[in-house]
Amino acid sequence: MTDSAAHLEDSPEESRLDATRLIHNVGWTFIYLGVFTLGFVVHQLFITTWFAQQAQSELTVERIEQWGDTDITEVVVVANPDNPNEPIIVSADEAPGGASGRAEPLVLKVESRPETGAAFALIRIPKIERLQNGWNVVEGVSTADLRNGAGHMPDTALPGQPGNAVIAGHRTTWGMPFHELDTLDPGDRIEVDTALGTHVYSVREIHIVRPSEIWVADPREGAWLTLTTCHPKFSARERYVVVAELVFGPNAEVIEVMS
Amino acid sequence: MIKRIWRLLPGPLYARVIQAVVLATIFLVALHFFYDWLGKVMLDQGGTVG
Repeated sequence: MTDSAAHLEDSPEESRLDATRLIHNVGWTFIYLGVFTLGFVVHQLFITTWFAQQAQSELTVERIEQWGDTDITEVVVVANPDNPNEPIIVSADEAPGGASGRAEPLVLKVESRPETGAAFALIRIPKIERLQNGWNVVEGVSTADLRNGAGHMPDTALPGQPGNAVIAGHRTTWGMPFHELDTLDPGDRIEVDTALGTHVYSVREIHIVRPSEIWVADPREGAWLTLTTCHPKFSARERYVVVAELVFGPNAEVIEVMS
Repeated sequence: MIKRIWRLLPGPLYARVIQAVVLATIFLVALHFFYDWLGKVMLDQGGTVG
């Protein structure tokens, strides 16, 4: 009798053994998959958050040092119709309120731009418990930057300055600073501390857009803050966007007159 | 599977323990980076636009 013929005539006991082995292997495969999935959930929800909290502690110290090193200047400005993010700096005589102008020149307080990766601001949202004590904002929106804190998009205005300051943050991982951003309603308050002082914004618009919709970062007339995060929760399919207008702060009155 | 790997490690007990610790560390670091990549692709890209 050949081997293959012998195989065909396996006893019922051997067939039962094969079936048992198969069930055993399938069972272990499911156990491994379960452990892998559980590990993924624990990693994303807790381990990344632990890393982010450690980074936040270090960034708080760094931010305070950064504020000490920030150059603050006062400049006379007029609005730039081509790019609201960059008002035109003029001499005192050329200013609308200068020698030949109206009542007082528009003097804007300007801070130097931080280096990429540096913590330079603190965002606080009283309505969101997680953000009541603030979350550090770093310059840049690279993967590494956003793991440490919320990230300010380069080439957009700094908070408290004319134009549109765009800040992105994680929704469900890495400290999840913007987890409850969808609880904000028009009129809610957002505060951003920088070396200049506290800039208070009021929520005006809420949008849900595709990640490619870059228009949300476009410059705006006046002073605005745009917060972006992933949407819906536990998905990167869309972006939840909160747009707020500057209502109080070191530059609020000047920017209002400029607009 | 863990038992099988343990049996395959050469040398005396202390050497096998050291090798096991090194292997476990490499495995956990690799798993961290894999989970990190998977989380970025599936769950949360940090909220940036563009």
